[in-house]
Amino acid sequence: MPLLEQSLVDSVIKRALRSGADFVELFVERKRNQSISVEESKVQRVNSGNDLGAGLRIIHQGTVSYVYTEDLSEDGLLKTADLAAQIGRRGGGRFAFAELSGAPRPPQRIDVPPDTVGPEAKIELLLEADQAARAVSGAVKQVAVGYGQSAQEVLVATSEGIHHSDSRTRVRLMVHAVAERNGEIQTAMEAPGMQRGFEFFDDTSAAEYARAAAERAVALLDAAPSPAGQMAVIIGNEFGGVLFHEACGHGLEADFVGKGSTVFTGKIGQAVASPIVTAIDDGTMPSRWGTLTVDDEGVPTRRNVLIQDGVLVSYMYDRLRAGQQNHPVTGNGRRQSYQHLPIPRMTNTFIAAGAHTVEDIIAATPRGLYARKLGAGQVDVTTGDFVFAVTEGYLIEGGRIGRPVRGATIVGNGPRALHKVDMVANDLKLAPGTCGKEGQGVPVSVGQPTIRISELTVGGTGVVPAGAMRQ
Amino acid sequence: MNSIGESVLARCKAQGAEDAELYISRGTEFTVRVYKGAIESLVSAESRGIGLRTFRDHRVGFSYTSDFEPAALDGLVDEALLNGRYNHADDANVLPDPRPFEALGGLASPALAGVDPQKKIDFALEMERRATSLDARVRRVSDAMYSDGSGRVEIYNSRGLEASFDRTVAYGVLETIAEQDSEMQSGFAFTHGRDMDELDLAGVVKEAVENAAGLLGARPVPTASVPVVLHPHAAAMILGVLGSSFSADAVIKRRSLLAGKVGEQVAAEIVTITDDPRLPEGLASRPFDGEGVPAERNELIGAGVLKGYLHNTYTAKRTNSQSTGSAVRSYKSVPEVGVSNLVLKPGTLSREALLARVSNGLHVSQLSGLNTVNPVSGEFSLGLTGHWIENGRLTRPVKELTVAGNVIALLKKVTAVADDLRFMFAGGFCGSPTVLIEELPVGGL
Repeated sequence: MPLLEQSLVDSVIKRALRSGADFVELFVERKRNQSISVEESKVQRVNSGNDLGAGLRIIHQGTVSYVYTEDLSEDGLLKTADLAAQIGRRGGGRFAFAELSGAPRPPQRIDVPPDTVGPEAKIELLLEADQAARAVSGAVKQVAVGYGQSAQEVLVATSEGIHHSDSRTRVRLMVHAVAERNGEIQTAMEAPGMQRGFEFFDDTSAAEYARAAAERAVALLDAAPSPAGQMAVIIGNEFGGVLFHEACGHGLEADFVGKGSTVFTGKIGQAVASPIVTAIDDGTMPSRWGTLTVDDEGVPTRRNVLIQDGVLVSYMYDRLRAGQQNHPVTGNGRRQSYQHLPIPRMTNTFIAAGAHTVEDIIAATPRGLYARKLGAGQVDVTTGDFVFAVTEGYLIEGGRIGRPVRGATIVGNGPRALHKVDMVANDLKLAPGTCGKEGQGVPVSVGQPTIRISELTVGGTGVVPAGAMRQ
Repeated sequence: MNSIGESVLARCKAQGAEDAELYISRGTEFTVRVYKGAIESLVSAESRGIGLRTFRDHRVGFSYTSDFEPAALDGLVDEALLNGRYNHADDANVLPDPRPFEALGGLASPALAGVDPQKKIDFALEMERRATSLDARVRRVSDAMYSDGSGRVEIYNSRGLEASFDRTVAYGVLETIAEQDSEMQSGFAFTHGRDMDELDLAGVVKEAVENAAGLLGARPVPTASVPVVLHPHAAAMILGVLGSSFSADAVIKRRSLLAGKVGEQVAAEIVTITDDPRLPEGLASRPFDGEGVPAERNELIGAGVLKGYLHNTYTAKRTNSQSTGSAVRSYKSVPEVGVSNLVLKPGTLSREALLARVSNGLHVSQLSGLNTVNPVSGEFSLGLTGHWIENGRLTRPVKELTVAGNVIALLKKVTAVADDLRFMFAGGFCGSPTVLIEELPVGGL
C-alpha cells in the first residue's frame, strides 16, 4: 500500500504552489515502533506505537516555510497546503536550491521483517541475555536489557516531479549492567544494532553482549581512579569514533559552515589533520545504522570523502545549503520525523583504517591512557572544544597495557587533536548511535580504527603522575 | 469526556481490560529562525497523539498512535491488550483513584494565539539586529530564534478520571559569535514566558553578547585548589544531573546515588532542594501529573537532609508509600518518574556579596561534559570555562580547566547560596542561585 495516493500527492503540491512558491516538497512518513524491556529479570514493558504524518515545505523567494500534520485525509492535507502557502508568502531573498541528482539504489535487504516475529522470541532473547549477565559474578546486582525495532517508510515528492521513497528497518539490543561491591558501584553498557530484520540475531549473540557489559562493570570495581594531566591517549576503535563525529564531524556540516560558526569554514584544500587521517561519511554502506537509500529530501546517498590524507575535501550538505553554497548535493539532508525540517546531518561517519596494528601502537607508547571505550561527550561546535567520558580505560606503562582506571575524561579541542593523531591502526569498526542536533535525533554510525593522539588532557580524580604538571 | 475517550475506553472494556487510561495530547507550534536580517525558516503546525494503557490481571499493556482514524483507534486498543499479555504480572500495576485537583492559574495565555506572526518574526529580527550592534567584537549571530507553542493534555481513565489542562510557552533563543584575531567564542542566552510580551529582548541580547565577548582571550591557568563560584546556570545544570536520582524508580532499580540515604545528611545545611510542579513561573508546572494525580510541592532535601523520593503510582504501591504526583510522560510513553521544576532554594545574600567572600578563586559560567557524570556513583570529571575571581571581582577569562569529584561530596561543600534564582532546561526545568563551593582542586596547565 503506498503511503499516499499519487493523485492526492499531486493535488497537495499543486495547491501549495498556488501561492507562487518557487518550490514545494511533501514528506510523508509512517513508522512502526516496538520496544521490550526486561528489568529485575522480569518483562517490564512491551510497548508499541504508530507514527503517521506529513510535512510540507515551501520555498518562496528564499524563505523556507514548513507545516506538518497528523491528519492525512484529503481535507486535512489540503488545509495544511493552504496554511503553508499562506505563511510562505514572506520571502524577499533569492531561491537557491541544489539540483537533485543520481538514481536511488534498491532498498536495504530485510530477510525477516521484525514485525513478523512475535514478542515471545524477543523476550526469550532478553531473558537469556539477563541470565548471562547475572551469571558473570555475584557482584552484578542489576541488569536491564532492552530490544527495540522500528520500520520507517518515507515518501518525498516535490514540485520538480520527483517522487522517491525509502524504507528503513532497524533492530537493536541494549544491555545495561550494574556491579556493586562494598558500597562501590560501577556500570557498563552495550548496544549493538543494524539496519536488518530479526535475522540480525542469527549472527549476533545477545548473551555475549550481556556478558561483555557485566564483565566490564565488574572489572571497573577494581579500577583505580584515573590520573589527570597531559599524556598520550590511545582511543579504541568502533564507538571511539564518537570523538571525531562530535568534535569534527558537526563542524563539517554545511549549515554551520554557511554561517561561519565552525573552525573549518573556508578551509577546503587546506591541511586540517595529520596526513595519516582520512575521514569519510558514507550513507551507502549496506545495513549500517545511518544508511539511507535516499536521504529525507529524496537525494540518493553517496560516499563522501571529508578529509583525504589530512586535507579537507568536502562538507556535508542538504539541498538548501548546497544551493546557497553552490555545491552539488551530498545526500546529507535528514530529519528526525515529519515534524522537522531537514538539515545537514551525518550518516555513517568514520576515520579510515591505517597501517599499524593495535599492538604496534601500544608498544610504541611509553606512558599514556588507553581509552578502549568512550561514553557520553559534549562539544562546542564553534570552537571544537570537547569533553568525553572514558568508560573503559587502562594505563599504558612501558608499552604495555597496565591497570584499569575509572572516572577518566578526555578534554581537548577537535581540530587541534586531529593534527596530533600520530598513529592509525587497521582495525576499523563502526557502531550505531543517535545523533542530536537542534532537537532532532537521527540514527547514525560512528567509527574508527584504534588511533593515538600524541598529547591530550586527561581529567580524573587520581594523583597527577609525576612530570605531567608544568607550573 | 470527548467521543474518542468514550469509544476507546468502551472498546477496552469490551475486549477484556479491567482498567484503561487514555492520555491525549494536542499542541501547536510556531517557530521562526532569522539570519542576516531575513527569515531563514518558519514552522507552523498542529499536532496530536494518543497513548493508551490497559490493565488486565495486573499486566499493563501500552500502545500509542498519532492516527485518529477509527480503524487506527481500534488497532490501538487491540495492540495495547496484546502487548499486556507478555508483560509480567505485578500487584503494583494499578491506576490511581481519581482525586480532585486544584486548578493552577496562569499556565496558559489565551492571547498568544492571537499574536500577529509578523510580530514574532520582528522579535527574532530585532534580537539579531541588536546583538550585532552592541559590541564591536560581536558582528555575527549563529542562531536567532523565536518559538512558541500551546499544549493541551487530557487524561481519561476507567475509574472515572477526566482531567485536562492547557499550557502555553514562548521563548527567544540567541547564540552569538564573538571574534578577536583568529579566536572565536560563542555565547548563548534565552528568554521565556507564557506569552510573547513576557520575553526580555534587551536582557537576552545583553547576556548572549556578554557571554561570547567575555570569553575572548580566555587562557588556561595552572592547577590550583581554590574556592569555586557557580553561575546560576552552571549550578542548575548540576541540579539537572542530580534530578534522576530522586526518582523512586531509579532507587528501586539501584540506579540512584541517593538510594538508601533518606534521613541522612547528603548536602551542606544551607542546601534545600524542592520539586515544585505548582511554581507560578515554572515552565514545567502542571496541576496534575501524567496519571492525573494532583501535583504537589515536594521537599527533597531539607537543610541538607534527604527527605524522600519522587513517586508515580507504581513505585508508590511497590514501596508502600504515596504517589507524589511525579509521573512524567508524553503520549508515546508510559508514565515514568521525573522532576518538574527542580529548585535549589535561594538565600538572602546578593551575588555581589557572595563573590566578595572570594579573594582568589574561580567563577564557572559553563560546565561541559555533564552528560558524562555517572548517575549511579555520582563521579564526575568536567570541563570548566569562566573567569578568575580576584578580591570579589571577575577578572580574566579562563578555559580548559577540569574538575573531578563526586556530586554528593560537592553538595556537602556548598558554603553559600545567593538570592539570584534563575532557571534553565536541564532534564527538568531547573532553578538555582549563584552557589559558592569551598576549595576544589581545579586542574589546568
